[in-house]
Amino acid sequence: MPDMNSLAHPQQHQFNPYTENGGTILAIAGEDFTVIAGDTRQSEGYSIQTRYAPKVFRLTDKAVLAVNGFAADGNMFVKKVRQRLEWYRHAHAKDMPLRAIARLIQTMLYARRFFPFYVYNILGGIEEDGSGAVYSFDPVGSYEREACRAAGAAQSLVQPFLDNQIYFKNQTPAQDTSHPVHLPLHSVLALVIDSFTGATERHIEVGDGLEMYVVLARGNPALQSLQDLPGAEEVTGTQAEERVFVIRRDLKKD
Amino acid sequence: MATSSVYTPAGFNFSNQIRNTFLQERGVPLPKATSTGTTIVGCLFKDGVVLGADTRATEGDIVADKNCEKIHYITDSIRCCGAGTAADTEFTTALISSNMELHGLSTGRKPQVVTAMTMLKQMLFRYQGHVGAALVLGGVDATGPQLFTIHPHGSTDKLPYVTMGSGSLAAMAVFESGWQPNMTRDDALNLVKAAVAAGIFNDLGSGSNIDACIITATHTEMLRNVETPNERVQKERRYVFRRGTTAWKTESVRKLIVNEETTIIGGDAMDTS
Amino acid sequence: MDRVDVQQLKSGEVNLGTSIMAVQFKDGVVIGADSRTTTGSYIANRVTDKLTHVHDRIYCCRSGSAADTQAVADIVHYYLQMHAQTTGTPSVHVAASLFQKLCYENKDALSAGIIVAGWDKDGPSVYNIPLGGGLFRQPWAIGGSGSTYVYGYCDATYKDGWGRDETVEFVKNTLALAMSRDGSSGGVIRMCVITEDKVERLFVPGDQLPKFWEGDEVLPTAVAWK
Repeated sequence: MPDMNSLAHPQQHQFNPYTENGGTILAIAGEDFTVIAGDTRQSEGYSIQTRYAPKVFRLTDKAVLAVNGFAADGNMFVKKVRQRLEWYRHAHAKDMPLRAIARLIQTMLYARRFFPFYVYNILGGIEEDGSGAVYSFDPVGSYEREACRAAGAAQSLVQPFLDNQIYFKNQTPAQDTSHPVHLPLHSVLALVIDSFTGATERHIEVGDGLEMYVVLARGNPALQSLQDLPGAEEVTGTQAEERVFVIRRDLKKD
Repeated sequence: MATSSVYTPAGFNFSNQIRNTFLQERGVPLPKATSTGTTIVGCLFKDGVVLGADTRATEGDIVADKNCEKIHYITDSIRCCGAGTAADTEFTTALISSNMELHGLSTGRKPQVVTAMTMLKQMLFRYQGHVGAALVLGGVDATGPQLFTIHPHGSTDKLPYVTMGSGSLAAMAVFESGWQPNMTRDDALNLVKAAVAAGIFNDLGSGSNIDACIITATHTEMLRNVETPNERVQKERRYVFRRGTTAWKTESVRKLIVNEETTIIGGDAMDTS
Repeated sequence: MDRVDVQQLKSGEVNLGTSIMAVQFKDGVVIGADSRTTTGSYIANRVTDKLTHVHDRIYCCRSGSAADTQAVADIVHYYLQMHAQTTGTPSVHVAASLFQKLCYENKDALSAGIIVAGWDKDGPSVYNIPLGGGLFRQPWAIGGSGSTYVYGYCDATYKDGWGRDETVEFVKNTLALAMSRDGSSGGVIRMCVITEDKVERLFVPGDQLPKFWEGDEVLPTAVAWK
């Protein structure tokens, strides 16, 4: 039965086009590589929509984009970025450099300032100088280059862990020593896996599967070890310069 | 002059109510209560009742307890699963458990499941849904196996198989397809396990392990963590911090030993032998 | 602002969406109800018994909030037990007046629409106690969200002086029609025939409900597909 009395007062109804689909993404830049990762659970409220919905996408051989937030906007945004990158390729006969993709994403996001893509983006890859780089964005296009960034449902759990383990925040070095500026690939991969197993244990929207993309700079010595790693799949487009791999792991499904 | 009363009334204390409403009006959010997002189930079988529960407790999106106990003791042959506000389920079941013990003592009989059900529904109705306890009550008494659900506003249902909590739909799907009358103890336990597992894997509010409790006329068996389908995985790295990792600004060391000097004033020292 | 909102259920409350009915006939009353209990769109109980015993020959049909109507019925049940011990067997009117008193005096806190029916020494009777706590004696009464669909059917069909079997058929058909149109009603039909000698329970399973027009006649293609 409709409530007759409430009709006496003005009532505002509004269609809400956004949903929050859970999940978490993160990226860490090394000296000559970058790891971009995300879990594969997609949820709405207390229900799982699918246990495998990728949130991390290879854009070029040197750029990987992770999107998190409202899944429909995320997928559409990746599609539109890829279209712009293809046009660039046709016009210039080369892939767009990473820092240019970052600026492109900024303008694409800000173009929708008053009806935003409800998405947090993290762009990772290799710069033209061969260094690993991570760019993180807010939904309306504010961005900065960082060494590491977590976003999404479990950001508040993962980012402090990364600050402590990557930036060595709150850790005083032993006498006459200093913390390393860059970590090696195997350490970074271990930290990424532990970030996600940890987030899975304590956050209800994180779990099911983990996809980690690794972008290696030209002549990275870790190439051989990555090719030998069981479960690592190479997804490079042209095997000339930068190399892209994806490593998949299971996460808890409860 | 008004003197403050030394009498402490029984029941809830509302002395912070005015302050809290004031704070709420000023936009201060109330603290989040731990809730048991929960899948709880119950099922009758040939000579008893099986109760089941998951073990996840949540505070919003965060898992507050990975292995909590949701099957509460009422009497030796009556148990109660709780969903909703964790504190409410714990205190209501503990209170009714206490009153059932007293009731048993004063009547000299084994109390019935309907007695517990009536006490629970009358209490929850009195609090008009503000005590957020959603319960599955099961047990065996002189009238046979009994199974009830009790909703937070105080309504009750009596059914051969029941589910409650955020995972209740997933669990009920299993019951509706698999339940049959006069099941054996093992079949009933397996069905309850499957129902709770459906909640654990398909409902984000439920997770971790399965607890079960089998009650028959002669025996009550509490099967804590009867299934553990979500064991913690080994971490890739060990996170041990070197001694001296934490920075400090000042250092002061205090002696904990207290020295007392005894001076005897007049007479002999007290005989302490 | 200060007006009492009797239509509104408390959020998350268990609701008896409901189609209920009671009809008196020569020797007694027939009461009936669907069996659906809902919380929002979820059916919390598909075999609910909304025909609640309050004394030997007095029953009530409950609609509205499950918690409120159960609490009220429990209290009346208790009062009638006391009445039987101290004053003797209560009349249906006494029971109905108790329900009315509770529903009227607590109208700001209750959402309960109750039909009281039964047999006493003055014969059969049906009392309707709608939302605000009024009390109306009627030869027949319908209630709950499903009842709005079948007032016309009842007005057109009911006749004075029916026997037991005709009354049972009337209740069964009315409820089946209400259940088919009202989404909050459904499941099975439960009925009680209350006479001087006994209270007889009748049960119609969900797959044996009386069928009425369902649309096949005007959709020949749908028939052809079958």
